[in-house]
Amino acid sequence: MELKVIENATCTFCGCVCDDIELHADDVRIHQAKRACVLGKAWFLNHTAEHKYPDALIDGQPATLEEAIQVAADHLYQADMPLVYGMSNTTCEAQRECVEMADLLGALLDSHTSL
Amino acid sequence: MQKSKFLPRGRKDRTVVLVDIRETKSAKAADLFLQVRPGKDFEMLTILRAMIKGEHVTDDQVAETGLTTDVLQDLIERMKKAKFGVMFFGMGLSMTRGKHMNAAALLTLAAEMNAFTKFVAMPMRGHGNVTGADVIMRWQTGYPFGISFNRGYPRYNPGEFSTVDILVRGDTDCAFIIGADPGATMPRPAIEHLAKVPTIVLDPHVTHTSRLSRVHITTAPAGIAAPGTGYRMDEVPMPLRPALNSPYPSDEEVIRRIKEAIAEKPDWMTDQPQMIFSQV
Repeated sequence: MELKVIENATCTFCGCVCDDIELHADDVRIHQAKRACVLGKAWFLNHTAEHKYPDALIDGQPATLEEAIQVAADHLYQADMPLVYGMSNTTCEAQRECVEMADLLGALLDSHTSL
Repeated sequence: MQKSKFLPRGRKDRTVVLVDIRETKSAKAADLFLQVRPGKDFEMLTILRAMIKGEHVTDDQVAETGLTTDVLQDLIERMKKAKFGVMFFGMGLSMTRGKHMNAAALLTLAAEMNAFTKFVAMPMRGHGNVTGADVIMRWQTGYPFGISFNRGYPRYNPGEFSTVDILVRGDTDCAFIIGADPGATMPRPAIEHLAKVPTIVLDPHVTHTSRLSRVHITTAPAGIAAPGTGYRMDEVPMPLRPALNSPYPSDEEVIRRIKEAIAEKPDWMTDQPQMIFSQV
């Protein structure tokens, strides 16, 4: 197993978004997060590349990604007033997709900001 | 703390004023602590707006906020003397009596302070990329949050289209949740409505919200195993440098595939007219 060092990694735990973190990682987990605060360390060290959860759950039962995507699309399409909410712990690229999906659906669109 | 050309003595050249309803640990780090009476933020901000313009405010009116005229006068002098002031505000302002009107009062105060010196206001963010959500929605729709597309074009109205209000009133009949766990944070009536309607959750973990949802899809955590961009609180975009390769797909990929699956179905505006058309 190879140990990688990632310089200037970005921490997205809180709104400060520190971008000077040095990460020491192997294939499965991050072992060290230099210059990160207590919150940042917990954030980096608690995520792993293990297959810990099923790919998807439908009504609580494990399912494949393709099935879950189809069921999700059906629910959203059939709804009269769907809601797209959240978008905090994700990338701007994903947020952009959310806006486009909400436009397509005629949906409500909101983020954590409204809290 | 950072020393700079304009602030060569670092922290000593800066003034921190904390306004809260109770003396928290942050009070120790502040130069000035103002204990405002709960639910009186709007009154305090309005009084400040009056006082910076030299309008007369009675001692009784000031006393109602739990502060004194001298304290506020001192605050105003400090504010006007500052070269660059920033007002940070959080949920204590936006989730108490008055809600977004409190935030509006603070933003107006910040705007009006610019008659004297440079002043800005900035919301404090709890989560990673909430600022990014604001920026992206502003860029794509013209509005930062609380948007409805149900007439086919974006409309903005916090209070009507903000999530907690929508859920508490029971307005929505399907919820798509990404990068958030409202099942753990929102008021009980909102969570009960989420459990009633089909909810779809995208998250790296099986969360409280996943447990009451119809569909959960596990995705790669952004910034750790998924690349992309994240906005810092002061609206500076940062590239994310993931350290791991996740066995799960990224949020971006999953949403794009859901979107494509929806796009294959007939157009809702012509095939399934919503209430707004039948009313006309």
